[in-house]
Amino acid sequence: MLEVKKLTKVYNDGTVALRDVSFTVEDGEFLIIIGLSGSGKSTLLRCINRLIEPTEGQIIWDGVDVTQADPTQMRHIRRQIGMIFQQFNLIKRSSVLTNVLAGRLGYVNPWSSLLYHFPQTERAMALQALERVGIADQAHKRADELSGGQQQRVGIARALMQQPRMILADEPVASLDPVLAHSILGYLERLNKEEGITILCSLHYLDLVQRYATRVIGLRNGRIVYRGSQEDVRRMTDEEFREVYGAEAERVSVGLTGEAA
Amino acid sequence: MANRTQSKQETRLSLVPAPVAGLLSLLVPGLGQALARHVYRGVLLLVSLGSIVGLLAWRVQLLAHREEGPLAMLVKALQRRPSFVVAMLLGVVALWLFIAWDAYRLARPGRRSAPGVFVLVFLLLFVLGWQITEIDVYKAVNELADVWPRLSQILWPWEAAFDEITEVVSAGADIQVPCTASPPSPPEEIPGQPYVAAEPTCGVLSEQDENYASILGTVLTFTGRGFAPNTEVEIWWIDPLGNEFRVRQEGSYVAAETDDQGAFEIEVIMPYRLIPTTGERAQMHRIEARQVSQVVGVQPSEALRLIIERMIETIMVGMMATLFGIVLSIPISLMAARNLMSGSWVTMALYYLVRTWMNIVRSIEPIIWALIAVVWVGLGPFAGFIALTLHSIAALGKLYSEAIESIDPGPIEAIQATGATRLQMIAYAVVPQMIPPFVSFSIYRWDINIRMSTILGLVGGGGIGFLLIQYIRLLDYRAAGIAVWFITITVAIMDYVSAEIRQHFV
Repeated sequence: MLEVKKLTKVYNDGTVALRDVSFTVEDGEFLIIIGLSGSGKSTLLRCINRLIEPTEGQIIWDGVDVTQADPTQMRHIRRQIGMIFQQFNLIKRSSVLTNVLAGRLGYVNPWSSLLYHFPQTERAMALQALERVGIADQAHKRADELSGGQQQRVGIARALMQQPRMILADEPVASLDPVLAHSILGYLERLNKEEGITILCSLHYLDLVQRYATRVIGLRNGRIVYRGSQEDVRRMTDEEFREVYGAEAERVSVGLTGEAA
Repeated sequence: MANRTQSKQETRLSLVPAPVAGLLSLLVPGLGQALARHVYRGVLLLVSLGSIVGLLAWRVQLLAHREEGPLAMLVKALQRRPSFVVAMLLGVVALWLFIAWDAYRLARPGRRSAPGVFVLVFLLLFVLGWQITEIDVYKAVNELADVWPRLSQILWPWEAAFDEITEVVSAGADIQVPCTASPPSPPEEIPGQPYVAAEPTCGVLSEQDENYASILGTVLTFTGRGFAPNTEVEIWWIDPLGNEFRVRQEGSYVAAETDDQGAFEIEVIMPYRLIPTTGERAQMHRIEARQVSQVVGVQPSEALRLIIERMIETIMVGMMATLFGIVLSIPISLMAARNLMSGSWVTMALYYLVRTWMNIVRSIEPIIWALIAVVWVGLGPFAGFIALTLHSIAALGKLYSEAIESIDPGPIEAIQATGATRLQMIAYAVVPQMIPPFVSFSIYRWDINIRMSTILGLVGGGGIGFLLIQYIRLLDYRAAGIAVWFITITVAIMDYVSAEIRQHFV
């Protein structure tokens, strides 16, 4: 279980990205965070594994306060939380296999891994992960030779290598076309349903939110302005939608092709 | 739109009426423009006119430096370079009037500035520039023919690259200086060998009196037989110290020609030779006849061997400087990368310190550093190495640091999110991104360093440049040509190789 309590983030330049954000995520949920660009979605996700240092508040993960963890504890927490990104964040010049193996860095011997050496079991595991996302045949290509959708699948395979109990997904489909978006979110949904991995995912498109979320929170200017269940989202009114996306926003019923703002 | 133009004009309204602005600019060029609210333009025009008049005055002074007083100087300068001086005087007057008219124009309401006056400024600077850089098209074309013999030696210098290996037959006779009661007897004849004899077998050497006038020595009748027929015979002199030299008379070498039987006879004046005296005793000199009998092969000339040695030295200097430059610039570049150093004010201070150091070191050319290094460690390749290494550290430090600054932070956060350590993060997210720019910049620098090391010798920094400047000063254009060829070939090969390697890595 993840508990976020009164989380606040103020950047060095004075920008307040998050104010007093509190929510709870039960194990096995598919929680989607919606909101405009700059509403604080990315900051929130990165505060949870402390890629960004929170200013105030607590993040309790399995009864441990993440914000108080020392570097070693933090690495142990991080390796249980997979993360995928809008820009995939693969190491472009390395092979697909190396990229996937990198997901194992929190578990393997830190010294031998510096020489890019991984035990045979880990390599087998990486190939298996690639198999699960359907691109085992691309294992020895350079990461930047793959298409966008394939690269995001490598990202998912990398997260899988962590044997994660939770996956943070920061706009995982914003750089992909609608068909690919469904395919990527489909993989996440399967992980969620079959293995009970908790998913925290930020998204732009309302249609995708309505299709995949088990619960939704809406952020605006760093505050939570909307909380709703799957049913609530499916019945989301224009007023509620505007509350999240701003007064000038139109409801995007076609959805997948345009951004909501 | 119209409104905006209107308001713009209002802010540019002149402080004085147009004729006044024109008159003021006639008195003090640029003043009218300044009062017409074109201060920058006014200052620029005043400075332009001032510098043109100043430069003209300087050139007139140079043309007539013996004359007294400005007027006399001007007249003299007019005589020497009439077209230049007249054109410039007219130009200055025209510019002055143009500036006044420009002020008048600008001060009138609704007029926009025109660039015409600056065209005239540029034209006058061009004329001055032509004169100051002493551009002389006639000379360039006319003297092209004279340079051809030297140029052809540089373009095709290979005759000087090889020496013939020859077999020499020789025979000699002793000469006593000065004569004593028992002069040496002529040498004994060995059958089948060339034979020479001198008459007399003793004498005095040529000398100089206190006015450096020559007092000629004894004339020897030098005869020989048993040499190859109809071939030149060189006359050599060997002093008691063992020094050998060809005998010269009136500026040219003394040489005899053998007849059909291989015999010769020639009169040789005993040469001038400064020998330490050994008391009362007479000294024994020797005269020899030498003949090249046959050519048995060729060997690399002294020049070619030296050039190859120095070329290897040059390449090594470039290579070592590149290696040291790469290794030493890595820590420097880390300190000069803003994204790594923005943590605290201490690191930022270090960042600015390193950046400033790099900018200063980089802006001074390697050849200047070589001059300094020669003072420091003396002539030779080590000085060149120091100069190139310093410059490489600064140049590579800047390139690397910029590459570090521009790496994609995405993979870094992705690797951090897996629970990786800091070292793992560097190995997996930073190093792979750094490899292509690192390889590319390093090879680029290697290329530059090889090219640079070829000229560092000009100031004593070792390598082939040292030989090149020596050969040019000795007017040995063939040897210089060989050096130029070697430099060209080496640089071309390096160019090709570095391009190939870069293509492999990037």
